[in-house]
Parts: sequence; structure tokens; C-alpha cells
Amino acid sequence: MDSLLIKSAKIVFPDTPFHGREMDVLIEGGVIAQIAGRIKADGNRQTVIDAKGQYLSPGFFDMNVNFGEPGLETKEDIVSGCAAAAAGGFTGVAVRPNTQPPLHSRSEVALIVNRARPLLVDVHPIGTISKKRMGEELAELYDMKLAGAIAFGDGDRPVQQAGLMSRALLYSKGFGGRIISYPEDISVAAGAKMNEGVTSTYLGMRGNPNLAEALMVARDLYLAEYNDAPIHFSTISTAESVDLIRRAKSKGLPVTCEVAVHHLVMTDELVAGFDSNYKVSPPLRTAKDQKALLKGIKDGTVDAIVSQHTPHEIEHKEVEYQIAAEGIIGLQTVLPLALSAGLTVEQLVDKLAIGPRRVLGLPIPEFGEGAVANMVLFDTSREWRFDQQTNQSRSSNSPLLGDTLKGAVTMVINKRQMANTQL
Amino acid sequence: MTASPRQLSTNHLLGIKDLQATDIELIFETADNFKDVLNRPIKKVPSLRDITIANVFFENSTRTRLSFELAEKRLSADIINFAASSSSVSKGETLIDTVNNILAMKVDMIVMRHPYPGAGVFLSKHVNAQLVNAGDGAHEHPTQALLDAFSIRERLGDVAGKKVAIIGDILHSRVALSNILCLRKLGAEVMVCGPTTLIPRYIGSLGVKVEYDLLAALKWCDVANMLRIQLERQDIAYFPSLREYSMLYGLNKKILDSLDKEITIMHPGPINRGVEITSDVADSHHSIILDQVENGVAIRMAVLYLLAGKRG
Repeated sequence: MDSLLIKSAKIVFPDTPFHGREMDVLIEGGVIAQIAGRIKADGNRQTVIDAKGQYLSPGFFDMNVNFGEPGLETKEDIVSGCAAAAAGGFTGVAVRPNTQPPLHSRSEVALIVNRARPLLVDVHPIGTISKKRMGEELAELYDMKLAGAIAFGDGDRPVQQAGLMSRALLYSKGFGGRIISYPEDISVAAGAKMNEGVTSTYLGMRGNPNLAEALMVARDLYLAEYNDAPIHFSTISTAESVDLIRRAKSKGLPVTCEVAVHHLVMTDELVAGFDSNYKVSPPLRTAKDQKALLKGIKDGTVDAIVSQHTPHEIEHKEVEYQIAAEGIIGLQTVLPLALSAGLTVEQLVDKLAIGPRRVLGLPIPEFGEGAVANMVLFDTSREWRFDQQTNQSRSSNSPLLGDTLKGAVTMVINKRQMANTQL
Repeated sequence: MTASPRQLSTNHLLGIKDLQATDIELIFETADNFKDVLNRPIKKVPSLRDITIANVFFENSTRTRLSFELAEKRLSADIINFAASSSSVSKGETLIDTVNNILAMKVDMIVMRHPYPGAGVFLSKHVNAQLVNAGDGAHEHPTQALLDAFSIRERLGDVAGKKVAIIGDILHSRVALSNILCLRKLGAEVMVCGPTTLIPRYIGSLGVKVEYDLLAALKWCDVANMLRIQLERQDIAYFPSLREYSMLYGLNKKILDSLDKEITIMHPGPINRGVEITSDVADSHHSIILDQVENGVAIRMAVLYLLAGKRG
């Protein structure tokens, strides 16, 4: 990329001297060349963006996405997934191992790393904890780490055996591996496809109680404490989990957690029409849980907000709710949903750009002359329509498809590449 | 009978939750007329002779299907039957494809039973036909609730103000949910009673009382609706044995005689004699179980007739 001049952007790079100020930024060949109150355009071969009223922050990082590669490329491949990520303002993602075969050995992990190398978006594979993601024996965690695995988790299969989880925490600690727990006790969840509550009762559906998640969070906090190992909880959805993690953090345990953005703005009442686009796992909960999650975000209990981007072909969604696949595509709708949840720009940059990188031990993008630009420019007041034209994912399973959303990403830059999505 | 100028507020019968109280009254008045027809020497009217109905059953059913078939025949509709186990269907053709294939043969209405809650609601958004839900998982079984309320009205004169106890497996029961919704819409008081593990945690949100003691429930109620217990169909055992269920919730003559009042006994069938209800109770004058079966045909005739009247 050539010369790019961003005029009058509001800078949201905490811990830099420019934070909160309106600056001009000159980027030459993907590197920040100059940051100043006013930079004159040089006229020749230079792209000038009038970013008045827009925010410039570190590129967002989504630590919980599903791309279908390998094996499920008809849902999404790395190229289409990264296009959706860039359009959503993300310059980095961590992909879950819910693939066929799962990312459970060096070869699958290396495949992801190699496939993503030329792309704008940094793609970090999450390897499985267990062989074949069966929840029985440890996979080769160290070998996967050498190949590029950023962390380990069994994706959407919660580890049921406490012994296995305990060994995973202890073993990975030895070489600095990070364990991700997707907390659900499946014997308590009992195959339920929605939250247990007033709505499930009205619909005659079996309910997945908050207890199923909270029990597992409690168990894994004990295991992490016993093994003196860090642990990260993915997509917690209940008030009880927030309380448990808050208490663990106040005891000084190295615990982190993330929340899926849809849990901040949607509740189980939306399932009442049996629309499978609202079928997610963990299920949409109640307003009470929503409030607790937001409180957790504001008081620092929650470290990151994720999309839990989960693409599925229409054949897996346009079926009876009970047998529909779980998940929605979310990469492009995180920003508008986080804004509609009432988060400030500072809060969302903290949870979308800074927090997830801290959790995974990744460097925070720098904002200074000479640094390789890794940034997103976004407009919190601009409206756009999320439809088949703007959707970059190969799949279209989102309840928001067709909606006009407020909060648009205008540009991302990373790895000396630029994507201007809605300039 | 003369055609009623009044119409249902819905184009499908997917659940009681979609009906207004006035819809239910209209169905009852129409069923009154059809019940007269059923007791005539010629038990048939030509009302639906231009209508073809498919009974599509993805789950085993004997009596509900018989009842629908008879209702359709009494209305002179043409009928086709489709039965498939849900397991074979879920592996192959989708529900939408299956039903659209049937509709392509110029079928006007679909009566569907399906193991999954909301299957009818889902289908109604994707096919161009009128649907009657004949049971969808543990969600709704609207014609059963209508015939139950109709039978209470017939026996006790009115539904409003009556106390109805629904006893048994409330958790897995579409009959219970539809009955609760229907009875509440008609102004009855409803209590559910059964093993603690078979009462949904949030059932109180539907405006019902909860009681775990059978005798207390019977003392409270005017009508006891004894649900069928199907231990073999629960994927998790919510109670240890039928024997123990029967010890706690089996209704027998001795308990009935201990009450200082007469109560009406109902059962959606088929009865497990000796489990939820003993033979001497099932066959006693308290029981309106066979009236329910008779009324089922009249109610289903009324529903099909009224929905046919809504065809574009």
C-alpha cells in the first residue's frame, strides 16, 4: 500500500500520548510515518481520508471465531472468514478447533497458520485439549504450540472429565500454554436447546439451566487454583459465572473470561418464534444475566467481547429449531451490537482490542512513528445495512441479516495491507 | 348445519397460544353442531368435499390420527396419510421438502404430528397450506386441550371458575401445556401435580398452582386430568420406577372415596391401567374418558371446518 493520510481521527490508543486527541496520521507502506495535529496532503498518489468524527483504535481482536477450515469449507474458509473479520474491524482472530478433523495436531495447526499468512488478518489457531476432541486423552499440546497454537480448548465440546481438565492445566503450564474452558456440565444441560426459564416453559422446551454453566466454572476454578495454572472461560452467559469469576479474580487467581456480544443484547424470549437464528450455545439467557454480564464488562471481571462467529449453511439452519445447528455469524455485527448494549468507545476498545490480546499474551498494537500500523477506523453514528451485499461471510445465519445497524467500520490496516470496507 | 358467519382469528391451528377466547368459543359452538351430526343416522356432512387433507405423522399415533381421520371423513374431505419415523426423516429429506412434495399433489391442509417443539410454527412460515398441529414435542396439542375443555364444559356446564388439576408428567407433556393455556383462557383455575422432577421449575409463570401431594390436589379440584406416564419414552429417568410412581400418584377408588365430594376424572388416553389410574376409577361414573374420545371427533371437525372457511 502506498501513502495514506487519515485526517482528524479521534485517537483511542490508551497509554499513548495521543489518546483522546484528534490527530492526523500519515501511513507510508503500512508503517506509521507521522502523527501530528495537522499534516498537509502531498497531492500525489496519496489517499486522504477525512475521518472527522471517527475513531482510530488498535485493530479489534476476536478470540472466539469458527472458520470451517479444514473440512467444513462450505460454511466458511479462512479467506472468507478473514474478509468478514476485516469488515467487522478485526485485524486478528483466534479460530476454534471445531473443524473436521479438529485442530488437534501439528498438521492442522500448521495448515491454518500457512493459509492465513498472506492475509490482512492475523489468524491464531486454538488447538484442542484432547485427541480428536473426544474429551478423553490429552492431545500433543506442546507440539501444537510450536506449530503456532495460541491456546488450547475443545471448542464447543465442554471437557466433562475433571481429571483431564486438571492434567491439561498442569501440563500446559509447564511450557506456557493457555487453557480455555467452555463451561457446561452436559449431564445438567441434558441436551436442552434453550435457556431454562419462563420462555422454555411456555414453549414446552427442555431448559438448559444457568447451573450447568456455573457448576463447570466452579469446578474449573478449583482445578486452576489447585494446579496454580491460568484459565480462560469462553462465552460465559450467566450471572452466576460472573460472580464466581469476580470472586476468583479478587483472590488473585489468574483467571480471564469473555462474553459473546449477542448475550449482551439478546435474551431467551427471542426464541419464542422457534427461529433457529437465535439458537446459540450457550443459549440466550435472561435480562438478569444480561445485566450481570454488562456489569462484569464495566467492572473488569470480563476481559474480552467476542463474536463467537459460527457460520452454517442454510441446510443446517432452515430446519426445525430442535435439530438446527447452533451459532450465528457475528464478526461484522460486533461493533453495532456492542454500541447498542450501551458500551462507550473506550470500553469497547478495551474489550475488543486490548483485553483479548492480553488474555492470549499477544502484543498490543503500537501507535507511534515507525510502528507497523495495526488499526481500525470506525464511525459510531453511521448506519449501514447488513444484507447479502455487505455480508462477507460464506454463510448468512444471522438474525440481523436485513437490518439497518448503527456503528460502521470504515477501514482496517494490518500487515501492510488495507481494507476499506465502508469508506 | 348453517355456515357460521364468524371466523377464527388465525389461519392455522398451531397452538392454543395463538387463539383468543372468542376463537375457542366459536370452535365449541361449531363442535356442538357437529356433535349433533355425529349422533344422527347419517353421520356425515358435505362441507369439505372439495378439500384434500394430508395427515402427516412423524411420530407414532393411533388414536389422534384415527380421530382426525374420522373427523375428515365425516366432513367428506379427501384424505391421504403419511407416516414416517422422525429418525429416518431427519437423516434424509427435510421437513419443508417432505411437506412441499405432498402439497405439490394439490393438498389443501396438513395435519401434522412431529416430535420437535415448534415444528408446526416453523413449517407454517415456509409452506403454503393450512396447518393443524396434532402434537409437536412437549409444546402443544391444541385439539386435545380443546376437546378436554369442551368435555368439562359439557359435564359441568361451564369451564370458567372450575378447578382443574393436571396430574402426572407435566415436564414432557404437550397435553399439559395446551390444557393449561386453554383452561386459563377460559377462566378456569389450574393446578399441576406430579413428581417434583416432572414439574418444570418455572411452571408457576403460566399462572398455575403447584402441588406435590395427590390427595391435596384431589381435595382442591373439581376435575382431575390424569396424564399418561411414559417412562420408556423419557431419555432420562426422572423417577425410579412405575411402581413407585403409582404409589405416589396412582389414582384408585379408595382415594376417590375418601373425598367428601364428587370429582370428574379425565384421561387423554391411552390409559396405563394400574399405573396412573386403576380400572375401577377409569370405568366409574366419575370418568368422562370415553366422552373425551367422542368429543375429540366433533372438536376436530369444528377446527378443520373453520380453518377451511379461512382459505384464500
